[in-house]
Amino acid sequence: MATSKLLPEEMLLRDRRQARSQVAILSAADYSEGLADSFTRVLSMFGLSLRHKSVLLKPNLVEYIAGVEVNTNPLLVTAAAEAFRKLGARSVVVAEGPGHQRDTYLVLAESGLDAQLRGHKLTFVDLNRDELIKVPTRANYTGLDHLWLPRTVLESDFVVSIPKIKTHHWAGVTLSMKNMFGIVPGTKYGWPKNFLHWKGIHRSILDICATVPVHFVIADGVIAMEGNGPLHGTHRSLGKIVLANDPVAADFVCAQLMGLNPNLVWHLDRATKFLGNGSPGRIDMITEQLPQQIAPFNVLPEFAHLRLRPQTSR
Amino acid sequence: MARTLQGLQNKDGSWRAFEGDEPDGSWVTALAVIALLATGSEVSSLSRAICWLVGARGREASWFCRWRFQAADKSVRFDPAKYGWSWVPGTTSWVIPTAFSVIALRQVRNLGINRTAAVTERIEQGVSMLLDRMCPGGGWNAGNGMAFGVRYSAYIDATAIALLALAGHETESGVRDSLTWLVNRLPGCPSPYSLAWGILALAAYRNISNEASNALACATNQLTSLIDRGVGMGDVCTVAVCALALDAVEGDNVFEVRS
Repeated sequence: MATSKLLPEEMLLRDRRQARSQVAILSAADYSEGLADSFTRVLSMFGLSLRHKSVLLKPNLVEYIAGVEVNTNPLLVTAAAEAFRKLGARSVVVAEGPGHQRDTYLVLAESGLDAQLRGHKLTFVDLNRDELIKVPTRANYTGLDHLWLPRTVLESDFVVSIPKIKTHHWAGVTLSMKNMFGIVPGTKYGWPKNFLHWKGIHRSILDICATVPVHFVIADGVIAMEGNGPLHGTHRSLGKIVLANDPVAADFVCAQLMGLNPNLVWHLDRATKFLGNGSPGRIDMITEQLPQQIAPFNVLPEFAHLRLRPQTSR
Repeated sequence: MARTLQGLQNKDGSWRAFEGDEPDGSWVTALAVIALLATGSEVSSLSRAICWLVGARGREASWFCRWRFQAADKSVRFDPAKYGWSWVPGTTSWVIPTAFSVIALRQVRNLGINRTAAVTERIEQGVSMLLDRMCPGGGWNAGNGMAFGVRYSAYIDATAIALLALAGHETESGVRDSLTWLVNRLPGCPSPYSLAWGILALAAYRNISNEASNALACATNQLTSLIDRGVGMGDVCTVAVCALALDAVEGDNVFEVRS
């Protein structure tokens, strides 16, 4: 026991990294129903086996602020759902447990996601109020030996994290791994999941993502957010969507698209030791490469060290 | 129902967040007390719960945490000396668990179940916390009204629950501003959950505020229309709050704190 405490946590964890990870960057100037066809085409390049599987889409739905792209765009969410349906998924549900706002339906309705979901006959599950199951954590960064997690998530065969690419005033960035904070139920951990904040945001992200595997990522960077994210930043028209079969690889590429150094984001760096790939040598870019020139996202002063020089994004 | 609730009570008087949860007390304790008071339960079954509520406090109640917020963490604007209740033990105070706890203790005091100085002191501390965390311009967000130099916008449910806890404090301009914010926010609200909380608050102010009284009828019509169409009624919590709201319109407000 004493020896184990002296070792870095990731040395005690089973290495779950794939030999190689695949990441696709998709250019998209705007949000449209046409994204479904683009997703179907790109997803088919990953060779996913989805027949008879239940797919859970976990968008980033925080709260509605008029005129501000805070949440994963509704059109992107339903386009992803249609693509997974076309690929043979048995069922597709959309699920989220907003962190601050206890009235999930209000955010759904005001953000336009509710109308989109109804139009596509998609079911939504409020993870803040779902039935909970006690699950042993598969990492121990927080010191918690278990988490209470929603049954809907645990019983899904294929979990897709669909974050909005944003800066974050506590974590530096909020991407596919941070997005999984939304599966943690407010009923148990409070709004905004304050119990886990006190355990450390980065540490909690690692424990959550180690415990609930993310099988796929579709990151919304058509309109991203820079500055004082995740709520009060400013829009950044990135025009990119990142798809990946590894959340760590996805987040590394997203951070680089933001002109930020993923190795300096604590949870991303640690995740490369056991959860997924961050090294370019273990990531296959199957569509576009990272752009040569990237103007780094604006960040709060405490995250200035994350910014890469404009010419050294890769 | 009261017997079921009592059967789920922890030895220390608190309640878990849900059946099967760890035996730590939680924010649900205040709601359980309000429910037991509403059902006219025996006083003896409440005493341990009241004791737990009086002793529970947000993490900033500790001098070290307060010092840390005051000295090092300047990103969030609030006075950590004014603390309330947390969702989960060991964490900081938030608006909704504080408001629920203030409501529970004010009802306990009004009913003469416990009028000790300790109860009064905790109520006053909770009230001061709520007034401190108000958003600029009125209403409440989940926690603070400002962070990172940004004015946070208010939420309907947090504002309504805080207003229920602060009924009788209308001399505070912030309370009046928050009531006005709520009255202006409710028209067109598409969610029965928020509308129901709004109605509960408006019902508690209708006799002292014309704007609350006038807004109450409109909000009630909105809510019944949503209920009739089954919009946003997908969970038990929403159904329960809607039922309580419609009771409040009829004069039976389970969250009433005016003596």
